[in-house]
Amino acid sequence: MFEKVLIANRGEIALRIHRACKEMGISTVAVHSTADADAMHVRLADESVCIGPPQAAKSYLHIPSIIAAAEITGAQAIHPGYGFLSENAKFAEIVTQHGLTFIGPTADHIRLMGDKIAAKQAAIDTGMPVVPGSDGGLASEAEAKKVAKKIGYPVLIKAAAGGGGRGMKVARSEEELGEAFSTARAEAKAAFGDDSVYMEKYLTHPRHIEIQVVADSHGNVIHLGERDCSLQRRHQKVLEEAPSPALNTDERARIGKVTADAIAKLGYLGVGTVEYLYEDGEFYFIEMNTRLQVEHPVTEMITGIDLVREQIRIADGAPLSVKQKDVKFIGHAIECRVNAENPQTFRPSPGRIEGFHPPGGLGVRLDSAIYAGYAIPPNYDSLIGKLIVHGRDRAECLMRLRRALNEMVITGVETTLPLFRDLMNEPDIINGDYSIHWLEKTLKAKAEAEN
Amino acid sequence: MSDKKHIDPNLVRELASILSDTGLSEIEVEHGELRLRLARTLTAAPVAATHVVHAPAPAHAPATPSASPAPTAPDHSKHPGAVPSPMVGTAYLSPEPGAPTFIKVGDTVSQGQTLMVVEAMKTFNPIPAPRAGKVIAILVDDAQPVEFGEPLVILE
Repeated sequence: MFEKVLIANRGEIALRIHRACKEMGISTVAVHSTADADAMHVRLADESVCIGPPQAAKSYLHIPSIIAAAEITGAQAIHPGYGFLSENAKFAEIVTQHGLTFIGPTADHIRLMGDKIAAKQAAIDTGMPVVPGSDGGLASEAEAKKVAKKIGYPVLIKAAAGGGGRGMKVARSEEELGEAFSTARAEAKAAFGDDSVYMEKYLTHPRHIEIQVVADSHGNVIHLGERDCSLQRRHQKVLEEAPSPALNTDERARIGKVTADAIAKLGYLGVGTVEYLYEDGEFYFIEMNTRLQVEHPVTEMITGIDLVREQIRIADGAPLSVKQKDVKFIGHAIECRVNAENPQTFRPSPGRIEGFHPPGGLGVRLDSAIYAGYAIPPNYDSLIGKLIVHGRDRAECLMRLRRALNEMVITGVETTLPLFRDLMNEPDIINGDYSIHWLEKTLKAKAEAEN
Repeated sequence: MSDKKHIDPNLVRELASILSDTGLSEIEVEHGELRLRLARTLTAAPVAATHVVHAPAPAHAPATPSASPAPTAPDHSKHPGAVPSPMVGTAYLSPEPGAPTFIKVGDTVSQGQTLMVVEAMKTFNPIPAPRAGKVIAILVDDAQPVEFGEPLVILE
């Protein structure tokens, strides 16, 4: 097993990886920018290396500095976390070329799933259900019109190199198509330097349901059920739960098996997530994330499986620690992403945390790197903690979450905690009756009612 | 997998008994080409403490990767003549092993003159003098790992 692992990330996920390493008896190396010299992952790691100035491009995204840090500390493997370099195929390649182990999938799989058109083709080839749409890129507006007529309006124009909602436009009729096509192309060009776009059927009230898969280098592949991440704002997940209140046992087993079989056909390695839209009993492949996800603890809570530990074991060539038949889903888990943002306007609120009281008690987990006196730098994203709560069933989980949210205190900066406290009183949330549009619609209605 | 033939069954048996005696769930042994992993399913009984014992890390003192003299470091970084490393990597004081060093204490350097090189990913990056001056101190040893912002040289 590895003796020393370098964690190429920051914040709560750096701490999360550190924890898994320590439980496996592995030494950790934290890398950090000058803005993160006092960060918790730096303070807790066995060694730390300052790799650059606050700008991520010159520190957490700067490949030569991270490789140099691994070399001077003698780390044998690099865990990229999520975001930053986690889905950078070139980085995975360079790590390997330097005789180090990349804790993640192969560069080829990262590249394949990073290209949305190629990814969809791979999904079709391996038997995953997909949204009807253009078979590849759209060369012209005329071609877009032809495809839209075949699959039926509304349709969605998406950037081939896209992500995070940029370069996405909806056309509800043929009249709207021309503008949607040209705007999506222009946005794609501006955001990703590549104006290739493609088209998909636009679903009106889908849920976002994703399947967690884990594959080792011995040909074993398992799925760990689904996470329902339908509660979103601007294509960013806000709250995630597992199991999904919308699926029954048969649907779960069916989509889980279809996905795990497809992943086996791909010859994939490590943990990954296949994201689907779910509407009226049907699943439609959106994309596959070839990394550990922010919301992975929800799955850990209902299965008891430490996903980071599995990642490290797989990277070292060990087999999966569980078989599909041993995977049991116990109870219900919900995660709230606590951001340093105004809970109404969602404007980021960096600054010094003056007071901090974490919630506790049975079934309550807080993955966070904050502490009283910690200054949240303005250079990175606003996620400051993930509150994950587990209960024997969904009702107990919701009551526990409500209780934990009321215990948790963060002062000095604005956080999204008040938003989650409000959500706990919404009948649709309590009933699990929400689509990916629910949160934005509800927030908009609330804002209008107040004005 | 011709190596399989050379696996000593007594070794496996010995490891298996260690596994059960110590209450461990997994043992991995590596010897040359041979790598052997023994694992057993965890029972409800708590696993006994393993032989891997780590001293608790001091939470407030991040360890530095090098053996640089930490207590004096803050003085140097605040020194107005300090030249900080623009990157993380390995510092080399001479252009190649055995060659004379780029600079010595007491030398007068001109602006842009190379003070040392810092290697990152097999690339040697020259560190130029930000201004002309006299070398008061060289703060790193040859082949020493340096962090971003770590003072390398003091010029006056």
